[in-house]
Amino acid sequence: MRKIENVQTSMNAPSWGEYENAFFVQVDQTKCEGCGECESQCPTGAIQCIDGDDGPRTVVNPAACVNCGQCLINCPYGAIYEGVSFVEEIFSALKDPDKVVVSMPAPAVRYGLAEAFGHPTGTYSGGKMFAALKKLGFDHIWDNQWTADVTIMEEGSELLGRLTGKVKKPLPQFTSCCPGWIKFVETFYPELIPNLSTCKSPVGMLGTLCKTYGAEIIHTEPKKIYTVSIMPCIAKKFEGLRPEIADSGYRDIDATITTRELAYMIKKAGIDFNSLPDVEPDTELGESTGAATIFGCSGGVMEAALRFAYEAVSGQALESVDIKAVRSRNGVKEATIPVPKFGDLNVCVVSGLFNTIPILEEIKKGKSRYHFIEVMTCPGGCVNGGGQPLLPDVREASLFKHIVARINRRFNMRKAV
Amino acid sequence: MKNIVNVTRRQFIKIAGMAAGATLYTWNFTKMSFAAANDYIMQRQESVYVQDTKMKFRRSQDNPSVKALYAKYLHEPNSHMAHQLLHTEYTDRSPLLMVLKAKGMKLKV
Repeated sequence: MRKIENVQTSMNAPSWGEYENAFFVQVDQTKCEGCGECESQCPTGAIQCIDGDDGPRTVVNPAACVNCGQCLINCPYGAIYEGVSFVEEIFSALKDPDKVVVSMPAPAVRYGLAEAFGHPTGTYSGGKMFAALKKLGFDHIWDNQWTADVTIMEEGSELLGRLTGKVKKPLPQFTSCCPGWIKFVETFYPELIPNLSTCKSPVGMLGTLCKTYGAEIIHTEPKKIYTVSIMPCIAKKFEGLRPEIADSGYRDIDATITTRELAYMIKKAGIDFNSLPDVEPDTELGESTGAATIFGCSGGVMEAALRFAYEAVSGQALESVDIKAVRSRNGVKEATIPVPKFGDLNVCVVSGLFNTIPILEEIKKGKSRYHFIEVMTCPGGCVNGGGQPLLPDVREASLFKHIVARINRRFNMRKAV
Repeated sequence: MKNIVNVTRRQFIKIAGMAAGATLYTWNFTKMSFAAANDYIMQRQESVYVQDTKMKFRRSQDNPSVKALYAKYLHEPNSHMAHQLLHTEYTDRSPLLMVLKAKGMKLKV
């Protein structure tokens, strides 16, 4: 166990494909006070008491866990640990002269990373993040925002295909960027798998493109390339271990770390983050647009897709690229976008998996009026992901809730007697 | 001395209890409004949308490096090559869940 940005982390790095039985998050029974905050945060109920409804909680079985880590970032006692980490493996890869190590940082990482170095919440630190990756010894600074743009081209075109009937798949189309959401559909709503966009997530695409298109650009054998996915997310570790993410002919995503683990690596390497200059990523697999950076917010993928699809369908430019009707802080937001030459496009943005259930039940009954639905597991989107630095007020707030819960529990116990 | 505050023991407990309840409620309420003003998730989101407006290009289809990828490599979105490299298939994982449910595990979904 190692403490990484205030989160206990096991240095267990499973081999490729070994992901079904791994616990990506688990409760340390010696630290759990049984307050139940994790249980109330958990969208599936995977974390619960082993006996009765009081006492220490545990992730009973990994099959029911979507690996989102909301339990971990909301635990007032720091009792939940991460069960998988590739930090040591990446440090050795960076030292290995035969490996060409490339970076794949997600959009939301650059809005959380600086908090680990004393900056206010939400400080943008993209330039310093790329500089830090260079200093750590990454050979090529490629950026996941580039494939966020590619995702829009693919997923937006797929949506147009479904709307016109060219693609023989059902409506509504679901976004497929969020690994917690994907596992949720695969496990709890397998009958709706056809509604999921067939597009890989941006990092799934980038992993493949690094070892095909990218390998050609840098004149390197694909087998030498070592791809590091850097995510605000714990569930992305599960995604990186999926055996089917191998379309380059090799393992597409070699290692996955969180924003917290990147901060840890920067500190451990003795890099003075705050004095770094701002650096740009390498252009070919690194250039990106505003549509890509908003992927980190609930509603961002929807807005980016609409910026593409509106023009592709109508042939007309959007009056303004800011589509504030789909930006969402939490929960469910629906909007109707009139698109010339198509009609009304009904869309819905959801964050917090619990909120999807009524919508999914409607779709199962064939009653949904939506064409396109964006889902993110974490409330507010990836910026609030389970792999981000812990928010300053979270532990305190949960502790307050815990005190109230304790009073209530005592009161109820007395009544029962 | 005894009669400065003329309440019975029972009344005192009632008043003290109400006062404690009111304090707790006010504290909680103040804390909630403080948290609302200091919404950290919102702060991260706002930072994202500020950065969006600063970018040279705002729409994915305008990204020169994305145009180059399609021109040199994938030809067009959803092409055969794009499907091979950028699309995937999903696995029905419900059998594992059925095993858990058969064992009597209660879940929220």
